[in-house]
Amino acid sequence: MLIRTILIAGAFALAVVPAQAQSVDKAPPGGAYKKVSELVKLPDFLPGMGTLYVDPKTLPAGPFLAYDHDGRLASTIYMIPVEDIQGQKTFDNLKAAGGNVDHVDMYYNAGHPGVEKPHYHIVLWHVSKADEARVAK
Amino acid sequence: MLARRTLLRAGGWAAGLALIGLPAAAPAAAVVEIRMRGNADGSKVWFDPIGVLVEPGQTIRWINIDPGNAHTSTAYHPANAGHPLRIPEGAAPWNSDYLLPEQSFELSLTTAGVYDYFCIPHEEAGMAGRLVVGRPQGSLSAATLPEPARRLLPSPEEIVRRKAVRATP
Ligand SMILES: [Cu+2]
Repeated sequence: MLIRTILIAGAFALAVVPAQAQSVDKAPPGGAYKKVSELVKLPDFLPGMGTLYVDPKTLPAGPFLAYDHDGRLASTIYMIPVEDIQGQKTFDNLKAAGGNVDHVDMYYNAGHPGVEKPHYHIVLWHVSKADEARVAK
Repeated sequence: MLARRTLLRAGGWAAGLALIGLPAAAPAAAVVEIRMRGNADGSKVWFDPIGVLVEPGQTIRWINIDPGNAHTSTAYHPANAGHPLRIPEGAAPWNSDYLLPEQSFELSLTTAGVYDYFCIPHEEAGMAGRLVVGRPQGSLSAATLPEPARRLLPSPEEIVRRKAVRATP
């Protein structure tokens, strides 16, 4: 009886482990991640990026997880204020839970609710250049 | 509205019924539309036109046609988070709050003068606009304008001359 209980408990523990090391491949990513459009006034789906999730504690840098219309992870985005780059600020150990990176884009953004200061988007694409079309609009 | 209510009180039912369906006494000037725009990667945001001449009482409508961003139309006024006063003395400040794509905000201004306004999330990026109401005298000092807006905003004289000034971002 006791042995069976331990076995069952053990099986539960095993079942719990993968849930904790939860994959962020599919939306919603869970954990501390919140949908950006529910945190600030922004459209649900941002053309060129997708549907964004972020842990509010990590603002403004992120990571932001960006999903396509089917809820598949398209990119991981960091948003770095230009004044922080000019101020030579260090951003250390930013999380990167999204897996394989196909290529990286960096581009300037004038700001938006959530990250008002003009900033750079550093985009780790988890899909090919051609598949960026999935989040184009 | 005030005029209509006064008439109703004075003339009672008959006058009230007669008013229904009648066109306004003075022909209403067309609504002036100012679009809130952004380019595809969000690196440029702007009001289009950036400078507009309107008649006192004319309706001004801001509409967000940027699919990837939220914008505001917010008067430079101490009531808006302590911003400098850049609208006529005594004129009421406004703040549209965040407008999502396709959302719009309407306003009419009766006090003649020069009105400067900005977009809350994009003020640092220089997203500002200027309205000239009527034929005001004199000009505003540029001293209290943030640097990006100072470079972009057309002079009141240019707005009066051209009626609408568009800025190419
Ligand atoms: Cu804006």
